Amino acid sequence: MLFQMSEKIIRVLKGVKEPRRAVNDFVTESAHKSAIFRGRHEVRYDICTGCDACNKICPVDAIKMKPLPIKRPNKVPEVSLSICIFCGLCEDVCPTKPEKAIKLSGGDINMITEGTEDALDNFWVRVDVPEEWIEEKKREEEEKARKKAEMMAKKKAEAEAKKKAEAEKGEEK
Amino acid sequence: MEKLKNILNKYETEYVEDYKSNWVKAKLKNKEDLLNLIKDLKEAGVKTCSTVSPTDFIDDNKIEVNYFLENLKDKKNVWLKVDLPRELENCEIDSITPLMPSAKWHELEAYSTYGVKFKGHPNLRYFLISRDYYGKFPFRKDFDWKAHEKNLIENVNSISEEFFEEYEENEETFDKEGSRTVLNWGPTHPASGPIRLKVYVNGENIEKVDADIGYVWRALENLAERKDFIGTIVAVERICFMDNPNPMICYSQAVEEIAGKEITPFAKFMRVILGETGRIASHLISMGGFFGTMGLQTFLMWCLDVREYFLDVLEDYSGARIATACVEPGGVRYPLNDYKAWFETLNKAINEWERVKDDINDIFLKNPLMVSRAKDNGIFTKDDVEEFYLAGPIARASGFKTDVRIDEPYAGYGELEMDYVTCENGDARDRLFIIVKEVNQSIDLIKQAMKKIEEGVEAGEMNPAKDHLVRMPRRMPAGEAVTRVEWARGEMLMHLVTMDKSTSPYRLKLRAPSVNHTMVLDRLISGKTLSDIPLLYGSMHICQGDLDR
Repeated sequence: MLFQMSEKIIRVLKGVKEPRRAVNDFVTESAHKSAIFRGRHEVRYDICTGCDACNKICPVDAIKMKPLPIKRPNKVPEVSLSICIFCGLCEDVCPTKPEKAIKLSGGDINMITEGTEDALDNFWVRVDVPEEWIEEKKREEEEKARKKAEMMAKKKAEAEAKKKAEAEKGEEK
Repeated sequence: MEKLKNILNKYETEYVEDYKSNWVKAKLKNKEDLLNLIKDLKEAGVKTCSTVSPTDFIDDNKIEVNYFLENLKDKKNVWLKVDLPRELENCEIDSITPLMPSAKWHELEAYSTYGVKFKGHPNLRYFLISRDYYGKFPFRKDFDWKAHEKNLIENVNSISEEFFEEYEENEETFDKEGSRTVLNWGPTHPASGPIRLKVYVNGENIEKVDADIGYVWRALENLAERKDFIGTIVAVERICFMDNPNPMICYSQAVEEIAGKEITPFAKFMRVILGETGRIASHLISMGGFFGTMGLQTFLMWCLDVREYFLDVLEDYSGARIATACVEPGGVRYPLNDYKAWFETLNKAINEWERVKDDINDIFLKNPLMVSRAKDNGIFTKDDVEEFYLAGPIARASGFKTDVRIDEPYAGYGELEMDYVTCENGDARDRLFIIVKEVNQSIDLIKQAMKKIEEGVEAGEMNPAKDHLVRMPRRMPAGEAVTRVEWARGEMLMHLVTMDKSTSPYRLKLRAPSVNHTMVLDRLISGKTLSDIPLLYGSMHICQGDLDR
């Protein structure tokens, strides 16, 4: 009796030591991984042009455009993962080259996003645009606008000078 | 063809013209002539009605009803149009159901969604749509979806109350003659899927079966009207998840026909491979489901195991396993940068099937329990096929030679060698055998298409990385097209209407085979015993996705 019990206990203890066969974590690892698996989106705010094409083509209206205080991009896409059907049409129409600003293919199978733990309706691919980047862009834009204004003023002055010269020529004749 | 044209010319028509190779398109002037014309056509061999599809032209204030009538033996078909006034009181036409029983549920569907009344229909009722739509006809162009939603939210209690009442009274006793009980088979039965069969039984004997459908009605035909031409593929592919690429092929063909574009040879053979892979994936579930409904789950697991390999093929190509969205108007959606690696996955899947094929044959197809239950049970004759338009594998199990891939070749099928696969008896066992035969045929077709692509690449005629898509115009011209494909469970017909310079379909009618296969359940199961229901139901390979749409 005692012998049988101890035998069983030893057998169970042996089992604990042995490596387990089912150790794949299917939350992060899929059984078959395709190189273009359409998973969670990646949105690149730095190359996005804010053209709204992805929002227009989305067949289920899962994309909402987040407005930015700069001119280009003036908005970037954010995707609601609870509505998205992962058809990938947004990636197809994205005009940026060679990399797409919104990308699903090769994406992650793990859909849980930051904030999902706090509230289940917070199931979004959010775009966090750093303040410094916006400031920098703003400065660049101001610079551009200033240069443009200068160029315009220069051109205007040149044109006026030309006109004047022509008018003077006409008078001389 | 001339014979059909002569018959049509006897009546007052606006036009009679050829359409594609085996259709005659005609428009009747007077709707009173319809029944006589149908009688004449029936004598000429056009015995089946594929579907009835109304189109709502709100600007012209008319509803145009399209009848698609088919001669399954000679493959000569008629596309008939009749104009009706749009006002609800006058919007009526003679029912063709007494002459062609296959139109029964299609007419009900047209009535429920467009309000076209069919005079003389044996049981004209609201059908498919849920109670909150009654009397409102949701597919008409002036239907107010916002107001409907508001009404639904306000009255949700009374709507569901009505539903519960239907379940209350289920028993009747007739003294010595026994009793009649109404059994609800489904929607939560393990074998049923989202459908409810009201089975009227006396003891164990089944007297009548009444199917209650519409549990997964998503109004896909209407959803398609709200998306653009490319976005529609995601609505179309959701008809049924089991065979995914074929509905998209059908829809894409219709768009290409209206735009007048021709796709590349590479895209044609890719469509063959994708379509056949989808067919195999669907057939493997059908096969396993046949045994699953009998209570033998082992075979279902075997089939799902093999199916995974074929889903890997789809995933490697498109990036998704079930909802692939891999075919779009103009060709196929993705380039094949490394076609050899993809063919490797394909070969792996084919080898997996070849490996288990013999075991399946020995263990399951000769299974004595299955044979004793399914042999000579639920027989369909060739006449039944024509009368009720059973399509695809169900028709071929009865020995009827019909297959859209051969009758009206599309994609690359015209250049491949294939023949009709048929069984003889048309009983439940043959409807299982035909599925296995078709999987083998599909694998043969895939191999042929792979060879064609390899030859094309070697000869420098095809470039898998570039040839996949032809550029389509963003705005379509006005037009309409009818296309058919051989889907896993039968013929799928799509009728697409576009307006000039439109960016989305004006009307897309989806005709799916499970409607007719569910319609004949009453005839199939009545007179049998209760234990036959799961078996015979499983043998029809019905999917509720394409039944309800």
